[in-house]
Amino acid sequence: MHNQAIDPQGLTWQRVSPRYLTLRVLSLAVEALITLAVVSVPLVLRSLDIWGGFPAWIAWGLPGVFLVGFIWRGVLLPRQVRAIGYAERGEDLLLRTGIFFQRTLVVPYGRMQYVDVAVGPFERLFGLCTLKLHTASPGTDATIPGLPTDEGARLREHLSARGEAQLAGL
Amino acid sequence: MTSAPGSPAPGKSSGSSGGEEQWQRVHPVSPLVRGWIALAAVAYVVGRDSVEALFLREEPSGPLPDGTPLAWVVIGLVVLLLAIAAVFFLSWWFTRYQVTSGHVRVRSGVLFRQHRQARLDRVQAVDINQPLLARLFGLAELRFEVADAGESAVRLSFLRLDDARALRGTILARASGADPEADSDTEAGTEAGGEETGESAAGTGTAASARRRGPAEAPEYPVLALAPGRVLGATALSGNTVVLVIGIIAVLILTFATGEGVSLAAFIPLGLAVVGGYWSMLNTSWNFRAAVSRDGVRLRYGLLDTRTQTVPPGRIQAVAVTQPLLWRITGWYRISVNVAGYGAAAGNDGAARTRLLPAGTLEETLQILALVLPNPGTPDPVGLFSAGIEGSGTDHGFTVSPRRARWVAPLQWRRSGYALTETALLSRSGRLWRNLTVVPHERIQSMALHQGPLARKLRIADLRLHSTPGPVSPRIRQLDEAVLLELFNEQSVRAADARRRDRTERWLHRETATGPAVSAAPEDPGTAALPAEGSNAAPQMEENWNEHR
Repeated sequence: MHNQAIDPQGLTWQRVSPRYLTLRVLSLAVEALITLAVVSVPLVLRSLDIWGGFPAWIAWGLPGVFLVGFIWRGVLLPRQVRAIGYAERGEDLLLRTGIFFQRTLVVPYGRMQYVDVAVGPFERLFGLCTLKLHTASPGTDATIPGLPTDEGARLREHLSARGEAQLAGL
Repeated sequence: MTSAPGSPAPGKSSGSSGGEEQWQRVHPVSPLVRGWIALAAVAYVVGRDSVEALFLREEPSGPLPDGTPLAWVVIGLVVLLLAIAAVFFLSWWFTRYQVTSGHVRVRSGVLFRQHRQARLDRVQAVDINQPLLARLFGLAELRFEVADAGESAVRLSFLRLDDARALRGTILARASGADPEADSDTEAGTEAGGEETGESAAGTGTAASARRRGPAEAPEYPVLALAPGRVLGATALSGNTVVLVIGIIAVLILTFATGEGVSLAAFIPLGLAVVGGYWSMLNTSWNFRAAVSRDGVRLRYGLLDTRTQTVPPGRIQAVAVTQPLLWRITGWYRISVNVAGYGAAAGNDGAARTRLLPAGTLEETLQILALVLPNPGTPDPVGLFSAGIEGSGTDHGFTVSPRRARWVAPLQWRRSGYALTETALLSRSGRLWRNLTVVPHERIQSMALHQGPLARKLRIADLRLHSTPGPVSPRIRQLDEAVLLELFNEQSVRAADARRRDRTERWLHRETATGPAVSAAPEDPGTAALPAEGSNAAPQMEENWNEHR
């Protein structure tokens, strides 16, 4: 794990599960297949001579652009997933995300209003869950995806207990 | 003033004594005032037909088939009116409210009953509104806001104005922990109650007077009033004017370019929007007066609809002082705040509620800031805040962007920065549209450091402070990344300390810990004896700030 300039020093970041990367790659692949199928329709029509007048550069270019985009996202995915990290400190939880647009977020336990744990159908297949912290501010976007289910449950209990102990008025 | 070690913590007062308090109803005229639009619609339809009939000397037609006997029409009308009256009566009859020691409760609804209760110590603001029609009847609407960004928690419309004021007084006195009755009916709170009486009577001399009627409202000290000229001037120099000028220029250019007059009808929508903008600004800034009392900041304003807002101490989450471009000419500023109960400012109504000062000079702006931050936490508040509002560079302890930030912020890099006091974090930005935001340490919900690719090359970063929904979103821009990281770490600690010290939940209750805010820090009993900050209202805060003027 590379230590970036805006990461507080002396912290051991917890990483999300490696299975989360598999999940993200698979869902990206599915998304790519569907999108490419749709944008390839003009190309297919042209090749079958049903719509022969369609400009060749658009017919080839459209799927090409999308393909490049998906490959780019696929290349970035491992780094993006590795960049997600969280750390529990005495008074607050830290959360970092992003490789190009980096963000380091700190949420004091006393500020948490509630904790959500969500499990989607695909996440369940991989034994993962997504944890979200809510404060009184809509700006707090504290989502930790790709947690193993038991780690998610542990974190939820831990955070709830800490939050209750330190809860402060608004 | 000291804490009574033996007295119990009444924070968990359950309000089980609710039976003693009477359920009350809103004023009987209220449904009429609320439903006047429905009535007006009926009157319009009927009236139009009758008038037509009168002039045309024939039977009313309209929705009815021809040849209907007049008697049926009359009977139909009477039935309709009776039905409306019955609905009004039922809605009035089934709407009841009650204020107990710990809660305010409202029951409403005929078919779908609703029973709502809100904790008094969770109050974020209490508003008294008088829409034009209610004003004619001498009625007012009372709104009780808790930290739920949506609608008001409790909305009593309508009460007699005096009753609304008395109720506000009761609510605030009980929420603040100053009302003796609020404590006397908690399990063992009688001793504490007696002690409290002495205190509040010494403080105001009014609390003991009106026992059964509820305590009188805390005396207030007027701070400032805006003259009509100011409001008109501010309106004239608002963003509307820019739109108007651009519109007129567009018309002129079109006229000269085409050589023929442009149809004015095309500009009616624009004109309506501009006039509407002017009107809403006038209507919400007219006769603006600010005052301060023990129970917080009180604002009054309004041309046709009047409104009185009371925001108790510690309920203001973030403050922004901004200056629209045209106001540079006159040197006026606007103050907006985030209050949890007011939520995100949707529409003119919301925008007006979060505006603490529609247009003020630097001096007036500082006066209002002194109300909001009674304890500025710095020896020279006037100098510091003036520097924050209109200064640039590192004067008065501001830390600003490094020189290399000029590549992304060519105008504001000298101004963009932050300053710290013992109680608040100031963030300054904007060269043309000046902006200063102030967030008390204990009001920060969470924080995030942001850095994009370009910023990483320049070794700068942004820090966003997350506040409750509202017009203020504090952000420190384009600072050196190492400086900002240090601030990020230190600010977490500072905010945690400030949260432990915060006593504003029941702002006049000066003894043992009340409510979860304080019980949260059992390891720190020393702070429980601290006097509630900002509780002594006007006199102290004026001192704090006035020495330096």
